[in-house]
Amino acid sequence: MKKPRKTAGSAPAETSHGKPAKVTIRKLSTGVRGLDEILGGGLPEFSLNLVGGAPGSGKTTLVHQFAFANATPERPAIYFTILGESVIKMLRYQQQFSFFDEAKVGKSLRFINLSDLVLEKDLDAVLEEIIAQVTAANAGVVVMDSFRTLVRKAAGVVGELEVQSFIHRLSQFLTASEVTAILVGEYVQEEMPDNPLFTMVDGVFWLTQVTERNSIVRKLQVLKLRGQASVPGLHTISITADGLQAFSRTLGLDTVPARPSRRKRLSIGVPDLDAMLGGGILEGDSVLVAGPSGTGKSALATQFIAEGLCQGEAGIMAIFEERPPSYTQRADGFGLKLGEAEKKGTLELLYLRPLDLSVDETMQAILDAIKRVGAKRLVIDSLVGFEMALAPGFRADFRESLYRMIGALTGAGITILSTVEVEDNFTSLQFSHYAISFLTDDIVRLRYVEIDGQLRKTMVVIKMRGGNHSKDIREYVITKKGVVVIHPRRTDYARLSTGIPKRTGPRKEQADEKPPESKAEA
Amino acid sequence: MGWLNRTTPRIRDIARTLILFEGQRGQGGASEFPATDRMRPQLMRLMGNGGVHALLSRALVLATLEAPWLSNAAVNSDGDLGGLHDIGAEIDPEVFLEGRVILLAQLLGLLVTFIGPTLTWGLVHEIWPHIAPEDRDFGREQ
Repeated sequence: MKKPRKTAGSAPAETSHGKPAKVTIRKLSTGVRGLDEILGGGLPEFSLNLVGGAPGSGKTTLVHQFAFANATPERPAIYFTILGESVIKMLRYQQQFSFFDEAKVGKSLRFINLSDLVLEKDLDAVLEEIIAQVTAANAGVVVMDSFRTLVRKAAGVVGELEVQSFIHRLSQFLTASEVTAILVGEYVQEEMPDNPLFTMVDGVFWLTQVTERNSIVRKLQVLKLRGQASVPGLHTISITADGLQAFSRTLGLDTVPARPSRRKRLSIGVPDLDAMLGGGILEGDSVLVAGPSGTGKSALATQFIAEGLCQGEAGIMAIFEERPPSYTQRADGFGLKLGEAEKKGTLELLYLRPLDLSVDETMQAILDAIKRVGAKRLVIDSLVGFEMALAPGFRADFRESLYRMIGALTGAGITILSTVEVEDNFTSLQFSHYAISFLTDDIVRLRYVEIDGQLRKTMVVIKMRGGNHSKDIREYVITKKGVVVIHPRRTDYARLSTGIPKRTGPRKEQADEKPPESKAEA
Repeated sequence: MGWLNRTTPRIRDIARTLILFEGQRGQGGASEFPATDRMRPQLMRLMGNGGVHALLSRALVLATLEAPWLSNAAVNSDGDLGGLHDIGAEIDPEVFLEGRVILLAQLLGLLVTFIGPTLTWGLVHEIWPHIAPEDRDFGREQ
């Protein structure tokens, strides 16, 4: 796991314009990949925060990551455990995560069990012990897990006002001691309006997990965060061997540099198709290649990437249907040496087909790969496979997330070619079963057409946002060179777009192809 | 019964070293198990009274399988080991020492099993910073 870097603190407020200087609130890294960005830079220093959610939602792991990320010998973190998970088990399980730094336990990160005190003494004694421990250690971070248990136990003995007073005094002490604190509890959201704790804390972070059909969908929401702008909404989280990882709804793409205003045309690797596209795809466009099975969508995608590699543009192929060896074999058949580019590190084939992926995890994997190789071209083959790889609960978010990713990446000048399988119905020309034209700048439609007793292939450029394009329906074949456009447009047929054209010109005698039927030669 | 004996020769060496060290400190007269007593506050802070009681009780059960006379010992409700004051005077000192080594080794063995050698070493080192066992993995392979 990459070590989460400490987020730089806010820049000091300017004193120009005669305004008094604002206080600088430093932001502490949470140690959770993606979370700092959701929080607007990290957790505000000296803030009192609450992490709530049902058991198993990842609360304890999150606060461990925060504690480990910020614990130092000079300002240790103290993890107070209160009648929750047994510490011995907690340490046993948490050390399985890569963020668990055993060297920090004991000195920089101290675990203190308050259970006996909570059971036997009153809130004053508990507060006294917390004050004593925090002061003695000069702690910079405090975690109380489970705070709800502490309050619940106390509430059974003393009144609500006493509990509120305890929280108030605790908050005052922690702030005055320059401590950033997280209280952990199995709260439910319905408690928020009536529970004064939620008013007193500076930040409230909610973790949920919902089972949908056979998969679990985990989400994080920032319900409250004083002093800084966080990204609103529900963010996907996952728990892996590296601990919790959060995926911002913006996918971190709101800060990518904008594409140049003057965009060059990129070859797709098929000269005649480039001509149909008015000279090639505009850099930073999103191209959709739609067609039924066997029409050469993946071949075209491979040529698009290979052409980029020839031009010195690194590429990523995110593939969801075929396995990488099939891809490289096909490319080899076309004389395109993808394997060499992979070895050089200018191409990555991402095979993303494990079940139950979240759309954000998948997109993060693509974004990571783009950063790794400095990709300028991206292939997503195919959108249908992409959607099928997702957990059912995430499919509803698919279009929205795809929209965000494609919008941000193309905005940064990365050219994307996505494929989508559509069924030809021989009555009309569909582009996709998705309403995804809003995702694409350009659409190339491939389809089968019955001509002269053969099922041939045609392509047409349906849409090109950046300029004019050919209106011709052109026949193409797949040869040893890949997709090759043949023949000028046919003027001896009408209704080619239906797949069952009507002859309008004279019929020419044609010899049968010899079996076994080969792929047509150009 | 192999699974019951989590101690390794190295753990026993460490246990023996700690017990002898405590004996040299002159604390042996006050308690039958001074090394265990010194560990208790650390363990209490970590896992509370109930946790220490459960862990020590388990260590005692396991140690009794090897040294049946330890059945005379008991873990009190406050996590204190007691019940051997009289027997300690009657039993052969070498046997008594070996029993205490077995008990402490079982306690360390349980800790190693639950939280791993590194964290267990951290606990031991916090209490006995001058004692430096050569093998911090307690003779175990992770």
